Amino acid sequence: MVTAETAIKVRGVSHQFGVEGDRRFVRALADTSLDIARGELLCLIGPSGCGKSTLLNIIGGLMEPSSGIVEVRGQHVRGPLPADIAFVFQENSLFPWNTVIENIELGMIFQGVAKSERTARAAEALEAVGLKDFAQHYPSQLSGGMRQRAALARALSLQTPILLMDEPFGALDEQTRMILGEDLSVLLARSRKTIVFVTHSLGEAVFLADRVAVFSARPGRIKQVIAVDEPHPRKPEFVTSAKFTSLRNELYGLLHDEIRKAVQQSAAAGTAPAALGRA
Amino acid sequence: MVAAAPRRGFAGRVLMRRPWLARLIVITALFALWEIAARGFVDPLFLSPPSQVIASLDSVFGTRGVPAALQLTLFELTVAFVLAVAIGLVLGLAIGLQPLVRRSFFPIVLLLYGMPQVTILPLFILFFGIGAASKIAFGVTHGMFPVTVTVVAGVQNLKPILLIGARSMGASRWQIFRYVIFPHMVPSFFAGMRLGMSGVLLGVLLAELYVSIAGIGYFTTLFTQNFDPTKLLGLIGVLAVMAIVLNAVVRRAEAHFARWRTE
Amino acid sequence: MVGKTGERPSRDALASRLIQACFLVSLVVVWYLAATRWGVNRLLLPNPLAVYDNLLDILQSGEFIDDLNTTLGELAVAFAISVTCGLTLGYLISRSSYWIEVFDPLFAAIYSIPIILFLPLFVLFFGLGPPSKIALGASISFFPIVINTIAGFGHVDRLLVMAARSMGASNYHLFHHVLLPAALPVILTGLRMGFTTALLSIIGSETLASLAGLGHRIVHLAEAMEMARMFAYIVFVVAIAVTLNTIVSTLEARGRRN
Repeated sequence: MVTAETAIKVRGVSHQFGVEGDRRFVRALADTSLDIARGELLCLIGPSGCGKSTLLNIIGGLMEPSSGIVEVRGQHVRGPLPADIAFVFQENSLFPWNTVIENIELGMIFQGVAKSERTARAAEALEAVGLKDFAQHYPSQLSGGMRQRAALARALSLQTPILLMDEPFGALDEQTRMILGEDLSVLLARSRKTIVFVTHSLGEAVFLADRVAVFSARPGRIKQVIAVDEPHPRKPEFVTSAKFTSLRNELYGLLHDEIRKAVQQSAAAGTAPAALGRA
Repeated sequence: MVAAAPRRGFAGRVLMRRPWLARLIVITALFALWEIAARGFVDPLFLSPPSQVIASLDSVFGTRGVPAALQLTLFELTVAFVLAVAIGLVLGLAIGLQPLVRRSFFPIVLLLYGMPQVTILPLFILFFGIGAASKIAFGVTHGMFPVTVTVVAGVQNLKPILLIGARSMGASRWQIFRYVIFPHMVPSFFAGMRLGMSGVLLGVLLAELYVSIAGIGYFTTLFTQNFDPTKLLGLIGVLAVMAIVLNAVVRRAEAHFARWRTE
Repeated sequence: MVGKTGERPSRDALASRLIQACFLVSLVVVWYLAATRWGVNRLLLPNPLAVYDNLLDILQSGEFIDDLNTTLGELAVAFAISVTCGLTLGYLISRSSYWIEVFDPLFAAIYSIPIILFLPLFVLFFGLGPPSKIALGASISFFPIVINTIAGFGHVDRLLVMAARSMGASNYHLFHHVLLPAALPVILTGLRMGFTTALLSIIGSETLASLAGLGHRIVHLAEAMEMARMFAYIVFVVAIAVTLNTIVSTLEARGRRN
């Protein structure tokens, strides 16, 4: 599955918010290195505020790291790379004044895709995520799960080799999440994209990932990388298998102490942990 | 808030389901009260009943100069509104799009908006004369600031994720303005236009009423001095209807352009 | 969005203060030059120094006191009336979601009419003296107060009410510990808006038709073409209005906190 070719190369990346000595200074990410192979789905998992979203934003060129470098397909990342990388965010990032179809086309307008091709690609993407009948709806008329499907369709329509997903199902309920995870697995197995997927959910990580990178509490660094050796697309039965359970338990063991540490940290700082990681 | 629902008769049930009907009854009752008071209790030199006011509306329009004055006022309102919106929008964008400019000049705009402009009404008349120019100018200064303030707010309270999303998809600065900031601003711009219309109405009517030797102000003064409440009420009623219609037009436009805000 | 922010905010704040100061100073300089050098008619634009002298004279002689008393007296009575009526009616209407639906659109509709139109009527009823100003000020400022009172009491989170009821709160307890604190911020905003509009409409009505008061004084000076003194009075009235509005806003902010 994992080919030798590297799509994303992260070298010695660390990041801090604010200036040292400042009251709001936060060391979010410490000296992280990582190789992500082409076609691989890598999950980043870790306690709140460990810098996993920060790392994702740095890979995507939305943030500049305080030190270290990121290379995407051989080029040094210095800003957004819309031709190579598409994002799906946790927060609803659809433009509320546009319908679903307009939202999907807008990304392609930004990239100068011709009108006829836009229409075709948008229709295809909508079909793929199962929203064909909701093209003319406004985001406010959709459920949270459908909004995230639309955001995924927008990202897919950009036809980038790399997809970065920042807790895309984080705000959804457990059942919606499960269904979306299953659909996503089918969809992505077909697309052969390189994907980095940030999540809080142990089950989601095991179910989707080829490899899971476990982060330590702040300042986040990669504690361990666990391989999930199971062909794509993953079947729903995988969830009830012994392999799934043992991997999930392994992750739980790795994470438990870190999460406790993170909660104590944020209690000591008197701040909500989630507020710091994302900007 | 927590409505107790005791047993009700048929009429009660009908009314419960139709608040607009009850509203209509309240309005009718108020007019009835006015009618009774004017007929029975108040000196006709001060108050005339609504039936008489409506019946003699044609005599108001028949008064020499009244139709022309009303027409001129409508013209002033329209011109002042267009100018106030245009100036307010340009000013709002100029101030709102640049953080440093916004921090410097927005407080000044807010200060001006909060000032009782009516204190400088006499100045406007001295500068621009008693004709349409002074009334339009006074309407513009009343109407433009609400537009500016809402445009600045509209540009500002954009969810950061939308900008980040657009940037991640490779939007240029112009595209971000055209496809993100501008559409986000449109509903608040229309809300601003509604407030701007209230401002323009206030400004123009203040100036009209202030100048008592011409226009609307001349006739209100005349009718007051003649103790002719029928005509005075008629004229005021016509102006109030004009204001209601103009407000309704802007409200319609606002509702139309804020369709996506159905959260 | 995402920035490497250090001490920049305070530097930016300083820069914008500087720009504001420069802007205001240059405004006065342009005014001065226009009045003294560029030959703008002195009947239209007096010398700012003359305005300053007049302002000092007004303050020292105390000639403003009568007009100020008239205006503030009208304001106090008008505001007292609108507060009493607005709070009482607003509270009563807010007790039933049905009455809210009946009256709320009605008030909003009337509020959208420029009520200044009724000034000639009030002058006809009450004459040129303070009563007509009070009537106008009270009827204009009634609306923001009643609308906000309805909004405040009428839209208290049901969950809060249910939680209090489940803990056995009596009607009095419910009002004192749940409804009032939940509604207060919105009501205070209504009171502030009511005050501002009352002040505005009283000065406005004094400008349009009156025998005394600060607005009347400005008109009087305008008719006498005493421009420098008129400008001085404008500055004075604006300063009073800004001060009063600031006090009310501060009270509102303080009331919200408690």
